[in-house]
Amino acid sequence: MPGGIRVEYQEELERLEASALGGLDLVSGALSRTLEAIEHQDVELAQIVVADDDRIDGRYLEVHQALITLLATQSPVATDLRLISALLHVLKNVERMGDQCVNICKMIPLTGNEPPSDREMVKLILAMGGQTKTLISQAKRAFEGRDVELAQDLVRQDDVVDNLNRECFRLALEIGDDADKREWAMTMLLGARAIERIGDNAVDIGEQVAFVVTGLFREFEDASHPA
Amino acid sequence: MGAAGATRAETELGKAEMNAATTGTQSPESVAAAQGRPAKTLETRSVNLYYGDFQAVENVSMTVEPNKVTALIGSSGCGKTTFLRSLNRMHELTAGASVDGEITLDGQDIYGSRVDPVQVRRLVGMVFQSPNPFPTMSVYDNVAAGLNLNAGRVKKSEKDEIVERSLRGAHLWNEVKDRLDKPGSSLSGGQQQRLCIARAIAVEPEVLLMDEPCSALDPVATLAIEDLIGELKSKFTIAIVTHNMQQASRASDITAFFNLEETGKPGRLVEIGATEKIFTSPAQQATEDYVSGRFG
Repeated sequence: MPGGIRVEYQEELERLEASALGGLDLVSGALSRTLEAIEHQDVELAQIVVADDDRIDGRYLEVHQALITLLATQSPVATDLRLISALLHVLKNVERMGDQCVNICKMIPLTGNEPPSDREMVKLILAMGGQTKTLISQAKRAFEGRDVELAQDLVRQDDVVDNLNRECFRLALEIGDDADKREWAMTMLLGARAIERIGDNAVDIGEQVAFVVTGLFREFEDASHPA
Repeated sequence: MGAAGATRAETELGKAEMNAATTGTQSPESVAAAQGRPAKTLETRSVNLYYGDFQAVENVSMTVEPNKVTALIGSSGCGKTTFLRSLNRMHELTAGASVDGEITLDGQDIYGSRVDPVQVRRLVGMVFQSPNPFPTMSVYDNVAAGLNLNAGRVKKSEKDEIVERSLRGAHLWNEVKDRLDKPGSSLSGGQQQRLCIARAIAVEPEVLLMDEPCSALDPVATLAIEDLIGELKSKFTIAIVTHNMQQASRASDITAFFNLEETGKPGRLVEIGATEKIFTSPAQQATEDYVSGRFG
């Protein structure tokens, strides 16, 4: 292939891909701090996560606008077009993942300043969070490497998160008998649910990897018609 | 390689089809009935095209489907215009040019030895890159020119109707209805190209071939022609050569990508498929590189 044709356009597209996928690193950082805030009932750290979400939103707006400009000015087609379409989806998912961290962190002050009341529940949530961070980094690697197999493996990884989420639910029911811990446990259950959604967003990104590579979009798992 | 049509079996195209074409222009009623009429299929099998000893196109087998717009794209010198010109036997007008393989219109060989090439061109019309109305002829006579050549005497009232219908069909009537007696060259470039389209459709062809019909036009005139192409496909089979990839993606249903391995080699058909597919996920890397602008 002769070099030198549309070099700036290609470089811009590569830069925007790196920037969109870099959003996943921001999310991963936000999730780490969210987990730390849960573990130590750290209200201040939770507030920092909420405030810092502006960075993720800013990334979304900046890259989204630049992709729209490329669409308008460069008439991308074929793989480039699929890539841009996929990056718009990735950005939306990144933005949603950031918002889920914000949702969790906004709940933390509502449970007071006392240390977490059930270590078992905290342990489950930290395990969910750790596994979800694995999904986020795997989604990023799959996208960067256009690795459909690695992308499809996200479903298996996400099943681990889903199972932990069910464990949280079972535990919250048990804790529910204890009036002092009940409210805290319900709040943590909402947090677990938010982390579970972040895992789903990572799987969605994996589906976009398959679209970029194959040109066909299909859900890895159909939630409304499970196999 | 042989002379055009030398080895072909004779077909009945010269009789049935051509007779129908020459027995007079159709009545307005029959043409009205032809709104959204089914057009014919052009098919090529193993077509090779030559200029003397130089082979310009190699082994092209494809179908130009009825009532669809097929865009032929590819870099300069890939043989797409040569191929287009073979579809109505204009290629052979070049000295030393020859054709082998088979080209059929609804199954009938257009290169059959008893087929009159002039009648092929009547059934398969061509619109050229630069608008080429007869400069001194009036707008009216430009549109009627093909009728006079093809159909013998046509009654004035009938001719009036055909001219109006053709100009309306080419989206030109409202702009020229008060100056039908002015010379064709008095129109703007975009109007002249629509006049040429009106002239081409006046004889009610089955297929319209267009060789970069918008390359000499401004963007507004270009979009007007593209809209027109979209309407004309309800009546005709259309093949269009274009260098403008956005035009191919906007105006066509099917896209055929031609390429040559290297300079001096003949052009080949690399890939043909639904335009949507070619511009979102082409099957061949060469197609991907071309539509993405990575090849000159």
